[in-house]
Amino acid sequence: MPIYLEPIQCNTEQLLLTNQRVAYWKAQKTLILSDVHIGKTAHFRKQGIPIPFKVLLRDLERLDALIQHFKPERLIVVGDLFHAEFNQDVVFFQKWMSTYQSLELVLVKGNHDGSAVKLYENLNIKIVENQLETTGFTFVHDSPVVQDNVSTFYISGHTHPGVLLKGKGKQRIKLPCYQWSTRQLVLPAFSLFTGLNTKIPSAAFKNYAFTADSIFEM
Amino acid sequence: MGKFEDSEGFKLVTQYLAAQGRTPFPFQLKTWKKYHTGYSGMVIAPTGFGKTFSVFLAVLIRYINAPETHKRGLKLVWISPLRSLAKDLAKAMTEVVETIGLDWTVQVRNGDTPQQIRRQQERLMPDVMLTTPETMHLLCSQKNNSRWFKHLKCVAVDEWHELLGNKRGVLTELVISRLQTLAPQLKIWGITATIGNLDEALKVLVPYPEFKTVKITAQAKKKLKIHAVLPDEVDVLPWSGHLGASMSSKIIPIINAHRTTLIFTNTRGQSELWYQIILEAAPELAGQLAIHHGSIDLKLRHWIEDSIVQGHLKAVICTSSLDLGVDFKPVDCIIQIGSAKGVARFVQRAGRSGHAPHETSKIYVVPTHSLELIEVAALKAAVKDRAVEARHPLVLCYDLMVQFLITLAVGEGFKAEEAYHILKQTHAFSFLNKDEFNWGLQFITQGGTALQAYEEFHKVVLNDDGVYRVQSRRISMLHRMNIGAIVSDAMLNVKYLSGGYIGMIEEFFISKLKPKSSFILAGRVLELVHIKDMTVYVKRSKAKKAIAPSWMGGRLPLTSHLSHFLRIKLEAALAPGIQERELKFLHPLIANQNSHSHIPKANEFLVELIGTKEGYHVFMYPFEGRLVHEVIAALIAYRLSQITPLTFTIAMNDYGFELLSDQPIPLDESNIEALLSKNQLMEDVTASINASEMASRTFRDIAVIAGLVVQSRPGARQNNKSLQSSSGLIFRVLEEYEPQHLLLKQAYTEVFNQQLEEVRLQAAFERISKSKIILRRASAFTPLSFPIKVDSLRHAMSNESLEKRVARIRKQALKDN
Repeated sequence: MPIYLEPIQCNTEQLLLTNQRVAYWKAQKTLILSDVHIGKTAHFRKQGIPIPFKVLLRDLERLDALIQHFKPERLIVVGDLFHAEFNQDVVFFQKWMSTYQSLELVLVKGNHDGSAVKLYENLNIKIVENQLETTGFTFVHDSPVVQDNVSTFYISGHTHPGVLLKGKGKQRIKLPCYQWSTRQLVLPAFSLFTGLNTKIPSAAFKNYAFTADSIFEM
Repeated sequence: MGKFEDSEGFKLVTQYLAAQGRTPFPFQLKTWKKYHTGYSGMVIAPTGFGKTFSVFLAVLIRYINAPETHKRGLKLVWISPLRSLAKDLAKAMTEVVETIGLDWTVQVRNGDTPQQIRRQQERLMPDVMLTTPETMHLLCSQKNNSRWFKHLKCVAVDEWHELLGNKRGVLTELVISRLQTLAPQLKIWGITATIGNLDEALKVLVPYPEFKTVKITAQAKKKLKIHAVLPDEVDVLPWSGHLGASMSSKIIPIINAHRTTLIFTNTRGQSELWYQIILEAAPELAGQLAIHHGSIDLKLRHWIEDSIVQGHLKAVICTSSLDLGVDFKPVDCIIQIGSAKGVARFVQRAGRSGHAPHETSKIYVVPTHSLELIEVAALKAAVKDRAVEARHPLVLCYDLMVQFLITLAVGEGFKAEEAYHILKQTHAFSFLNKDEFNWGLQFITQGGTALQAYEEFHKVVLNDDGVYRVQSRRISMLHRMNIGAIVSDAMLNVKYLSGGYIGMIEEFFISKLKPKSSFILAGRVLELVHIKDMTVYVKRSKAKKAIAPSWMGGRLPLTSHLSHFLRIKLEAALAPGIQERELKFLHPLIANQNSHSHIPKANEFLVELIGTKEGYHVFMYPFEGRLVHEVIAALIAYRLSQITPLTFTIAMNDYGFELLSDQPIPLDESNIEALLSKNQLMEDVTASINASEMASRTFRDIAVIAGLVVQSRPGARQNNKSLQSSSGLIFRVLEEYEPQHLLLKQAYTEVFNQQLEEVRLQAAFERISKSKIILRRASAFTPLSFPIKVDSLRHAMSNESLEKRVARIRKQALKDN
C-alpha cells in the first residue's frame, strides 16, 4: 500500500496529510481520522442488504498498515467511529483493538456514535462528548462555521468531503479530499464504504484531493 | 352446448348494447366466441374502438351462461400499466353490470386505494379488480394470498404493448405465471395497439404450450392526416436546438382553429419552455392553456385531465405523460414539437385526436431544426406502409428474479421447485438454468458466496419444511416498499410555503439553486425559499424569466425503423415528388449540401473531413440515433488512436456524429474502409468504452429492484437514513469482492443490449460494409454537419489513465482560471 504525504501548516503545528485518509501529527505521534463507520456493513446485512464482511476487514488492514508505518502512540477519531447498533462487526473491531494494547484511542463523539455508549466502556476508548481541546487544535465531529478571528484550529470530519473534477467535454471524476483553510481542516471519511459529498461550497477552502498513487492540492 | 348466439349471456349483452344504440364490432364478437370456447389470446385494436368491451364482456357472457362454474370472489383481474385509466374503466364496467342486473362488484386497487377499502377487499375480493403489475406483486407479498386467486377465470392485460419491452412487462409475466399455477382454469388475454412483433407479443403473454391461443385484429383503420409546419424561409444552414419564438406565430393560429389541441414536446424541460413561449405570444390564452408532465403533482394533473374532458382548455403542452390515458373527446388536433423519434410513438400521439372510430386524427409537426422536415416525409412514408416498430421483450432480469423470490418469501413462502417452475415457464426466464436459480437462492438467504462470510444476513430463511420465508417484519416492510421496476431519480416534492403541492423536481437540479433563485415548474415562476425533509418550499416569484428545470433522462434516440425511412427520404430530397411539400421546401438546403459536399443515397455512407480554425473535424452520418452514434464515435476514435494517439471531442445528434481534434486526423481514402470495418467490431467497442463506468450507471436500477439500495421517497416519513448508500458504491464493492455476481453480469448485459444497442450496432456496420463510402472534404460546415456542431451534448473520448486525466484536467482548470 503506497503512502503519499503532503505536509500542511495548521495553526502552529504541522500535519502530514496522506492519500490513505488519515492525517499524521508527528509532534504528538498521533494519527487523526474520521468517519470509520464500524458496524455499517453488518448493519446493512441485518436489514437484508448483503455487503461483504471483507469491506470492514480491508479498512482495518489499511489502518494496520498506517499504524505500522507511522508507529503512533495515539489515535484520535473525530466522530462516527461506529455506524449503528452493536453487531458482529463491532465484536471484530474489539478483537482487533486488543492487539494494540499500548495504543490510546480517543473518540470525539459523532452523530452516529450516540446509541452505543455501553459498548465503548468495554472497548477501552477515551470518550469525549463534544469537543477535544489540545494545544492549538479543537477536535470536533461537525465543525461550526469558523470565524477568521478564532485562535484555535478546528479539525473535523462528518461531511465526507469530495471534489468533482470537470475536464473538457463531459469528463467528470469524483475524488475524496481534505478541505483546509487557515482555521480548519475537514478530513475525508476513513471507511471506503462511504459516499462522497461534492456539494460543499468550497470557496473558503483549499482542497487536497488524492488517488491511490498521489495527493495534490487542487 | 347450443349455438353461442342463442346463449342467455350473448342475448343479454347484445340487448344491452342495442339499448345504447350499438352493435358489436366483428372483433368483439370473435373475442366473445373464442373466450367461450376456452381460448386465450390477444386483441389488437387502437384506443377508442371498444377494446375494453371485447374481453370484459366475454368474461361476463361466460358467467351469465354458466354461473354455477364461478365461485365467490375474483373472476377477472384487469392489469393496466396506467393507474389513471382504472377509475373510468371501472365506471364503464359498473354501468354494464348494473344495467344488465348482475350482482358483480367492480373495484380498483392500486397505490391510490385507501387503506380501508384495501382491508375490505382483502376480506372479500370484488368480482372484477382493475389493478397494476406492481399492485399484483404486492398482493403476492401478503399472507395467505393464494385463496384470492384460486377461482380466478381470466387475467386481462391492457395496453400490453406498453409493458412488453420493459421490466414492468417481466413483472406482468411473473405474476401471470404464478396465477396460472394457482388457477389452472385461468385464461389469459392481452389487449394491444399495433406493434411490429405481434406474434412474439402473444407468445410472451401466453407462453404455456397447452393453451389454445388466438390473435384477433380490429379491422377498423384510423385515418391520419400529417401536416408539416413550415417556417417562413429555409436557411442555407439549418438552425439547431431549441428553436422557439419564430415558430410560435405559426402555432397560435392552429390552436385557435381547433377546439382543443395537445402539444407534445420530448422533454419536461422543453414543455416548460414552450408553455412560456406560447403564453408570451398569445397572452389571451392564459387560463385556457395548461401544462402536463410527469413531474407535476398528481392532483394537478388529474385536474388538467378533467378540464380537457370537459372542454375547458384550448391547448395543453405535454410530454409522453399524455401518450396514453383516458379518451379526451374534445381533442381534435395534435402538435408535435421536434422529432417524435419513432413511428409508433408518433402514430400513438396523433391518435389522441379524433378519438372516435370514424373521425380523422390530425397532427401538425413543428420542426426544431430544418432537417427534421425530412423526418416528416419519412413518417408519412412509414405511416402509409403501416410499418411500426417492434417491442422486444426482456429476458433474464436477475434483479426481478431476486425481487420476485423475496416477494414470494414475504407472502406465503415458497419451495424451491415451485418457484423455479413459475420462473421457468415465463418467456423472460425460459433460459434460466439451475445454477443461476441456485445463485438467486443463495443471494437471498446468505447474501452471496460463502467465501465472503455475510454474517448476520438472514433476509430469507430456509425452514425445516423446505419452505423459504422472510421472518423479520422490518425486512418484509422494506421489501414491500421496494416492489416494482420503476426506479425514479431522487425527487423532491415542491410545495408552496402556504401549502399546496406543485410537483416534483430532481435533487440534482435543485441542488444547483440557491435560496431566492427562481425556476419554472408547472408553468409557474417560483422562488426557492428553503429545502427541508425532501421537500422544496417555494413562493410565487415576481421574476419574469427563470430557468426551466432539466430533468435527467427523456432523451430518446431515433428508432432504427424511422432511421430506415429517413435515409430513403434524404436521397429523395434531391428530387422531391410533387406531393412532398416539406422536401420541396427544403430543397435549397439539400442542394447546398449536395454542391458543397454530397447527399448520401440510401446505399451510400457519407464521411466529411472539415478543417476550421477550431481544429480538424470528421463527420459521419449513420442515421442510427444518438445512442448508437455515441458508440460508433467512440469506436472510430479508438481505431484512429491506434494509428496516432489523439484525444477527441465528440458531438452527436440522431443523424450523425463529429470527432474533433486539434491535431490532423489520420483519415483518408486509403484507410476509411478499415476504420469502418465490421471485423473485430465488438472487441474494439469493448476496448473503446469505459464499460465499467457505464455498467455502474445501469446498475442503479438493478440495485434498487434487487433491494440493494433503499430508495428514499419524497414525503416518506421514514427515510431509512442509516441504510443510505449509493448504487455506485455497492457496484464497486461487488466488483471487488463478488466479481461473478449475476447482478453485475446483468448490468453489463444491459449496457450491451440497451446502451450500446449491440444488435442495432452490428446491423449498422453490416449495412455500412455494403455501402459505398463517400469521403468529402470541405473548408466550412455543411448543412448536415452544422446541427451536430451546434449540439451541446459533448463527450470527450480518451484512453488515458485516471492519473493522467486528473493531471491534464488540473492543468486545464488552472489555465481557465
